[in-house]
Amino acid sequence: MTQLALQHYLAVGTIMFAIGLIGFMCRRNLIVMFLCTELMFQGVAINLIAFGKYHGNLSGQAFVIFVLVIAAAEASLALGLVVLLFRQKATLDADAWRELRG
Amino acid sequence: MDQLFPVQYSILIPLAPLLGAIIAGFFGAKWIKGQSHWPIWLGVGFSALLSICLMSEMLTRWHGGETLTAVKNYFTWIQAGKFVVQWGYFFDPLTAVMLCVVCGIGFFITVFAAGYMKGEAGYFRFFAYLGLFIFMMTNLVMGENLIMLYLGWEGVGLSSYLLIGYYYDKPSAREAAKKAFLVNRVGDFGFGLGIMLSFLTFGTISYFGHGVGSHSGLLELAAMPLDQLAKLPGVNVAWVPTAMKWIPFLLMVGAFGKSAQFPLYVWLPDAMEGPTPVSALIHAATMVTAGVYMIARCGTLFVGNAGAMMTIACVGAFTAVFAATIALRQFDLKKVFAYSTISQLGFMFVGVGVLAPVAGVFHLITHAFFKALLFLGSGVVMHAMSGELDMRKMSGLKKVLPKTHILMLIGCAALAGFPFTAGFLSKDQIVGAAWQHSKLLGSVMLFAALMTAYYTFRLYFRVFLGPLVVPPPPDGGHGHGHDDHGHGGSLHGAEDAEGAKAAEHEHHHNHEPAIMILPLIVLAIGALVAGYLNFPERDNSLAGFLGKSPSFALAYEVAEKAGSVVSPMPFGQLEAAKREEETNRDTVADEKHTELMLMWASSGISILGIYLAFVMHLKNRRRGEELPNKMPQLARLLEGKYWIDEIYQDAIVEPLRALGRVFFAIDRYVVDGIVWLISFIPQASGWALKLSTQRGYLQGYAATMLFGIAVILLIIFL
Amino acid sequence: MLAETTSVLSPLVILVLCVVAGVGTVLLLPSRREASLRKVGGCVLLATGLILAALLFRLTAGSPQGGMGPYFWIFSAIAIIGAIRVVTHPKPVYSALYFVLTVFASAGLFLLLWAEFMAVALVLIYAGAILVTYVFVIMLAAEAAQPGTGARNLTEHDRLSRDPVIAAAVGFALMGVMLFVIFDKANEIKTNPVEIQQTIVSGATQELGVFLFQKHLVNVELAGLILTVSMIGAIVIARRRVIGEAGSSSPDMLIAPATPVDDNPHSIPVVGTRNPRQKEYPET
Repeated sequence: MTQLALQHYLAVGTIMFAIGLIGFMCRRNLIVMFLCTELMFQGVAINLIAFGKYHGNLSGQAFVIFVLVIAAAEASLALGLVVLLFRQKATLDADAWRELRG
Repeated sequence: MDQLFPVQYSILIPLAPLLGAIIAGFFGAKWIKGQSHWPIWLGVGFSALLSICLMSEMLTRWHGGETLTAVKNYFTWIQAGKFVVQWGYFFDPLTAVMLCVVCGIGFFITVFAAGYMKGEAGYFRFFAYLGLFIFMMTNLVMGENLIMLYLGWEGVGLSSYLLIGYYYDKPSAREAAKKAFLVNRVGDFGFGLGIMLSFLTFGTISYFGHGVGSHSGLLELAAMPLDQLAKLPGVNVAWVPTAMKWIPFLLMVGAFGKSAQFPLYVWLPDAMEGPTPVSALIHAATMVTAGVYMIARCGTLFVGNAGAMMTIACVGAFTAVFAATIALRQFDLKKVFAYSTISQLGFMFVGVGVLAPVAGVFHLITHAFFKALLFLGSGVVMHAMSGELDMRKMSGLKKVLPKTHILMLIGCAALAGFPFTAGFLSKDQIVGAAWQHSKLLGSVMLFAALMTAYYTFRLYFRVFLGPLVVPPPPDGGHGHGHDDHGHGGSLHGAEDAEGAKAAEHEHHHNHEPAIMILPLIVLAIGALVAGYLNFPERDNSLAGFLGKSPSFALAYEVAEKAGSVVSPMPFGQLEAAKREEETNRDTVADEKHTELMLMWASSGISILGIYLAFVMHLKNRRRGEELPNKMPQLARLLEGKYWIDEIYQDAIVEPLRALGRVFFAIDRYVVDGIVWLISFIPQASGWALKLSTQRGYLQGYAATMLFGIAVILLIIFL
Repeated sequence: MLAETTSVLSPLVILVLCVVAGVGTVLLLPSRREASLRKVGGCVLLATGLILAALLFRLTAGSPQGGMGPYFWIFSAIAIIGAIRVVTHPKPVYSALYFVLTVFASAGLFLLLWAEFMAVALVLIYAGAILVTYVFVIMLAAEAAQPGTGARNLTEHDRLSRDPVIAAAVGFALMGVMLFVIFDKANEIKTNPVEIQQTIVSGATQELGVFLFQKHLVNVELAGLILTVSMIGAIVIARRRVIGEAGSSSPDMLIAPATPVDDNPHSIPVVGTRNPRQKEYPET
């Protein structure tokens, strides 16, 4: 495994990103929607690592660390908000908050 | 001349009344109250004093044979590119004469007003407006350029508006104020256009620029021949011939509006809604003569254009006759004098129109005296009669108002042109000049003079002579706002209680308080002797003095060059007159003879008019009353004032209103409709987008965003 | 040597694959369809994935090292299948578990890329920390929510997707565009900088640490700050009583109602809720 075919990894990352996107768009459960955003983070992380390997430096990995940090922060805040919203409406349905459309 | 102290401190002449107005206006309501006349008295008195100082200094210089002009610029008022307006004052004999008239007569009228207006609500307001008026009027006559003139012109219009509408709780007063303001707008529009055209043509609106003889002012440029003009920068030579054709007509429109000449006179009779001192000061003595002043001042712009001069003369003559005929059948004292004022202004316009500006200004001065006297006299009558002014309801007032009767007799004699009164002498000069210009015009003026004598003495005989009749007390106390002045019940209550005779003796003194009679006496003296300012026309008469004004001298030059039939005397050009006398002795002798004949004729006509009035309104009043029945149509026409107001209403006001409605509809439905339609497109699309895309589904927004990203990526990479 | 990419993975192929995968995804997404249809969708997706894999394999089959090696394919397949299941599984708990599977597979891919620290960190943070929190919240919600009406006791918003066709279309459009960019437009990146690659084969973790603290010290500190802030924020958010319920004017009403003694499923005990047995502490 010395040979790196960058495109393969990029393809995998892209596919994961797109799947996460689709899930974010069509799932209505708030928690699953957040899981899908985590999937998108995964896809981006694979891309970053692959590029880092390709260029032979560590910037990619360093940025994945920051991605993880953001993901963790996002998860904690988002779940807090989800709990809050759930207490308001007793449901996790994102459509329950349509009234915010203004 | 520049170093004279009245010139050095000339800014004080307008400032003193303005200061008085400010004090009276801002502190009158709470603190000064009943003493509000003091600031104005002091301010106007100071201005009058300074004016007289200026006059006397000027007379001294005149006798010493020095030049009599000065320019005093205080600061640059407006500067916009080449358009520069100095806040400056120009002094020459014309200015001095006008200042003395405005401030002098203005002072006596303010003194009278303190007695007349005593106890009125808004006493301070009245005097503040008067101070503002004097400020504006002095600016008008002293201004160094057409814009200063225009400032004063509009300022006196404003003061006039405020003072006509002084009794603003009376609908008729409000309407009259609005009417005066709007009718003046018509004239001022023409005047403004004239000023603009003058600037565009000559590149300046200053009368004499840096000084007389510097050839930098409008009036001097207008007098210069074209080939010399072409060398000067800033002059649009190509325009000059056309502009000189149009400027007089445009300026004339302004003069007709302000001085109430024929098509635009309709506001002046209604302006009598204002307090009587206002009628005397603004609507008889000073403001309405601004048009005459303007034409005299800008003579060089006018005299070269024979058509314009003819128009002025004809309009003046027509107005003189027209207004006099209306005055024949008016019964309200002030209305009679209002139409008389219009008629007399017509005389002045004839004077300036037939190339005799000295005669016009002369008549302006004498008229200011006797018409102010007559208005103030009728003010006294009104005061005593509790606001009643209908001459059918009063008679024989000689017995209750003896002093007023004498003063009014003097005023009426002057207005009627009784021989050797001021009015006779000035009117005669105008008639003489008109006769020389055209026999027809002279005859028309003589006819107008006949009617003037008749209607004046009709009024006098009706009101002051004959059996004593006083009007019954009008409902609701005293008219014209005299609700609460000092001697409450006036004549009537006393009469009812104690009997007429005793009441008269006890009370008539009250009806002629000294504060009201003294100014009248001064004016009456003026009405008698002011005529000798310019009679006989000698070296040291008014004509010679005014002739030193560059406006008159230049106007004479221009008129002579233009080839008009012009004699130098009416321009005050005495040297030229002497020369002419020497060269063609016969013609001049002829003219002298004609003048003498005309003087006899106008004396006769005046006495004839007075006799007619005597016959019909004193000796046998029934004849006077039956006369209208013989010609009912004519009487009704005159009583209806030729229905000019109604014609204006139907021919101008209503079509304009209809047009306004059309424009309103266009604005409301077409313009607003288009704007609404334009605004409706984004509104509707926003509404559609809100229904279709802004549904509150979080994922929908994400999908939209991502679709956009996909499109952007495709655009970048394809 | 690499084969001609344009003939192997032309835009047309990508388009067709994306469309087919889109159809499969739509079928597979939770909806009112029968289970058999969803199985069909799964098969379609699987087939598409296999075709793509085969095409990619062919792309690199000619290279001397024999392509990518089996581990890449295995981990990729697990990651993508897991991801699809995360998206398509109607039960949130199962989604979370499939997400763990995806995380593990991604960690495997990271290992293949010589990023062993990242692989471990991924497993620890995602699978260990974040996912536990998710599952915790899912359990809370599932316990508190009203019982679903449909099959398998699912609530309506879990059983039905929102606009699956539009979502799939947009998602696969984006995926197609990106794949097209990767395979068709970026030919110049195919040459591998092998020499540089050799320099970081060993001791990667140590080097990463040095790199982070030399080049990105401020960023690391900022990341720590962000984590702290988000922690505080999460506490504040979850603890605060929601404003808007009737009569929440008195200060003690700022706290959530006590742990339900009447088995009210709507009140969830969360941080900050007053527990009858809990010692009271001063409120804001």
